[in-house]
Amino acid sequence: MRNRVAAAFALVLVAGACSETTDDGPSVDQQRTATGVIATDPKDSLGPAPEVLGATKGGTFTVIREVKISHLDPQRVYSFAGLVNAPLYARTLTTWKDDGKGNLTLVGDLAQTPGTNVSNDCKVWEFKVKDGVKFEDGRPITAKEIAYGIARSFDPDLTGGPTYVQEWLADSADYDTKWDFKANKGALPPGLTTPDDKTIRFEFAKAHCDLPFALSLPASAPLPPDKDTGVNLDNQPFSSGPYKITKHTPGVEIVLERNEHWDPATDPVRHQYPDKFVWTFGPDPNAGANRVIADSGPDQSALAFNGVPSALVSQVTGNAALKERSIISPTPTEWRLSINTQRVTDLATRQALNYAIDRDGFIKSIGGETVAAPVTTLMPPATIGYQKYDAYPAGANGNPDKAKELLAGKTPALVLGVGDDVVERGTQLKSNLEKAGFKITLKTIPADAKLDETKKKDNPWDLYLDSWAADWPSGASILPVLFDGRSIKAEGNSNTSYVNDDAINSEFDRVLAMPPADQAPEWAKLDERIMRELAPAVPVYVEVAYYLHGSKAGGVFVSSVFGYPSFVNAFVKQ
Amino acid sequence: MARFLIKRLLSATLTLFAVSVLAFLMFFALPRDPVTGMCPKNCNPERLERVREELGLRDPKIEQYAAYMKGIFVGRDLGSAQGGRCDAPCLGYSYVNSEAVTDTLARVLPVTLSIVIPAAILWLLLGVGLGMVSALKRGTWVDRLAIGFSLTGASLQLYFTGAVLLIVFVYQLKVLPNPHYTSILDDPLDWAKGLVLAWVALAFLFSAIYARLARAQMLETLSEDFVRTARAKGLASKAVYGRHALRAAITPLVTIAGLDVGAALGGTVITETTFGIQGLGRTAVYAVRGGDLPMIMATVLIAAVFVVLANVVVDLLYAVIDPRVRLR
Repeated sequence: MRNRVAAAFALVLVAGACSETTDDGPSVDQQRTATGVIATDPKDSLGPAPEVLGATKGGTFTVIREVKISHLDPQRVYSFAGLVNAPLYARTLTTWKDDGKGNLTLVGDLAQTPGTNVSNDCKVWEFKVKDGVKFEDGRPITAKEIAYGIARSFDPDLTGGPTYVQEWLADSADYDTKWDFKANKGALPPGLTTPDDKTIRFEFAKAHCDLPFALSLPASAPLPPDKDTGVNLDNQPFSSGPYKITKHTPGVEIVLERNEHWDPATDPVRHQYPDKFVWTFGPDPNAGANRVIADSGPDQSALAFNGVPSALVSQVTGNAALKERSIISPTPTEWRLSINTQRVTDLATRQALNYAIDRDGFIKSIGGETVAAPVTTLMPPATIGYQKYDAYPAGANGNPDKAKELLAGKTPALVLGVGDDVVERGTQLKSNLEKAGFKITLKTIPADAKLDETKKKDNPWDLYLDSWAADWPSGASILPVLFDGRSIKAEGNSNTSYVNDDAINSEFDRVLAMPPADQAPEWAKLDERIMRELAPAVPVYVEVAYYLHGSKAGGVFVSSVFGYPSFVNAFVKQ
Repeated sequence: MARFLIKRLLSATLTLFAVSVLAFLMFFALPRDPVTGMCPKNCNPERLERVREELGLRDPKIEQYAAYMKGIFVGRDLGSAQGGRCDAPCLGYSYVNSEAVTDTLARVLPVTLSIVIPAAILWLLLGVGLGMVSALKRGTWVDRLAIGFSLTGASLQLYFTGAVLLIVFVYQLKVLPNPHYTSILDDPLDWAKGLVLAWVALAFLFSAIYARLARAQMLETLSEDFVRTARAKGLASKAVYGRHALRAAITPLVTIAGLDVGAALGGTVITETTFGIQGLGRTAVYAVRGGDLPMIMATVLIAAVFVVLANVVVDLLYAVIDPRVRLR
């Protein structure tokens, strides 16, 4: 789990567009909410994936992006581009069936099911490996290679990847000191066993009901030990998916071609429509979008991965042909105005802030509906089990009168900390909140330090904008992370509201101990309860993804899990 | 001649040594921790400390510098986190590219050379040619046109002319492919097609400056005594201008051209960014952004090598062009 720095950068790029929302502007599906479950029927995990309407085989699908993907080694992949690219060449124990409209099902990918909770206490998990799954050289994938992949993620040389599974197995944040991968090559970390070639077993000291979700990240991809080239695997990973990397020039190009050993009958989500996928790095966001707009040659089947920059928004929305080639969708990255409850101790003040917020005005100031969509909940709509509610209904533009009523004549003086790269957001919030009687002092924080500074417990600000994007769309990876007061430390906090409420904390424990499939509605209830009882933040907006593709590119949708384009259904129109 | 070369090369080595020390110190002065980029967001301080230890970032700076220099001349062992054995000339391991720095350089250097060398030929021919013509036709419409051209070129920024060229020739007329680099050895035509806009944009910018300089130099030379003497002894204008005046006028231009080409080889950041081509300049920028210190060091050193070498070449050219200069 991490704050999405990359996403924040992307937003800065598109923000500042003069917002012009007309009737014929782009339409964002505001209602896209996640309804998701963990598949209980093993049939859901079987392949082949249903055919995509209109899809044809052949052609080269190009993805244009400004900078290279930070890592390709599945055990090190953790950036958005990496996470949506990895499924092309790396299969994982579990994966998300995602229809691009918010219907999510966690299914088995290499595993026959999304896991068996052996003793129903989330401490022992078992996964049975499918038949017929193979590496790019035709060797069968067994539990051994999957376990080896997880073992190598303990290697401190292989930086960058997520650390959930390692920490859970080692029952320590310092997992690499608990088990030394290099000294124990050929062995497996504590708690991880392969009773036979088809079975992989996890035993934890504590309950970890989120394991099936965590294993959907590329870090659970398999690798035969003899193909492990250490840090060099990053430039030439060994494929288990429908494509294999046949050419890689770091920073310039990645060429993926069909892996003939991949069997569609074993894969519930991926397709193998294009002959090739090509990532081409270099063009800045404007050049990338311009190439796709020009729609000539290979760019006809290209996607501009850096989105539609602000300079081109009006050109794209004003052109019917381009509108048809654009994808616009809210993402799971949510921004909230965190209230430092150690300093703003009065609940009525925090509630008044929630009444006062002018979401519409704020969104207009950062670029309008192609950039952001309003939210009133702590979990983004893309979370499984999401329930829409508004604890402090005040309309799209806020209700300063209602806020003043709650403040009962007080004019709280609050310090708003804002990154020095987005000062105009602070100005917008200041003028908005002052209408409701607050006295706001704007303090700028150097942009690159903002994240670290607001994560310090004794930070000197009352309000600051924070974002969160979970690694899987479960309340478990959002609410306890952001609002469990028992985890507050001196620095590096994700609970930047610094709330610590015993009743809420014990609710977290109760829900986290439930079987993962039963947790979803409970998180939705808890979300509303936290907002009503604690009002620790003002939910403001979720980022909106806005992409453009060439006239021959098809099948791309915005991943409900990551909010970035997914390529599992991509095809080239013939 | 040999003595001159040895002297120059010695002083060049000294310069490079100074640059390497400075760059190495800068490395530590940077407001960036080289290891933060290597950890996921929830990385804890203890693990960061272990990574620092393993990378030798806790050793005394002198030792680190010595190890780096040793790597360049005899190679060194970098440890498994950095790809293991690194043969000479070892410039370290790039975290951003996950490969040896020399591998990255081997890839991006030909790109920058392919941008700069043809562009330099173009801008020198165009710039010096225009300046000469304009000096010889002083006061006529040819002169005014040339001056207008050079004013325009000097005042328009590359990211503007570049964008216009891209929009016209690539996005609208579609007569050229998207800017890209292909090795000249693989496909010379595609090599030229992929880079021609970059050459034109760079040449437009630089030739403007050279046209103005060349014009001023030529005018000054034309008023010198030796030109009058040449004319008086009845030499044809062609010989006066070509053999006498031009050679004298071009000497200062060579100095400037040497510096410009050297600096451009060190990284044409704006050109590469505008056209989305991955050469030395962009590699340097990404290295700085990503806190990829071995790569920063290498790009700084390479840029210094180019500037220093360009100066040596300029000195040699002096002797060829100007008979008054003797190399000692």
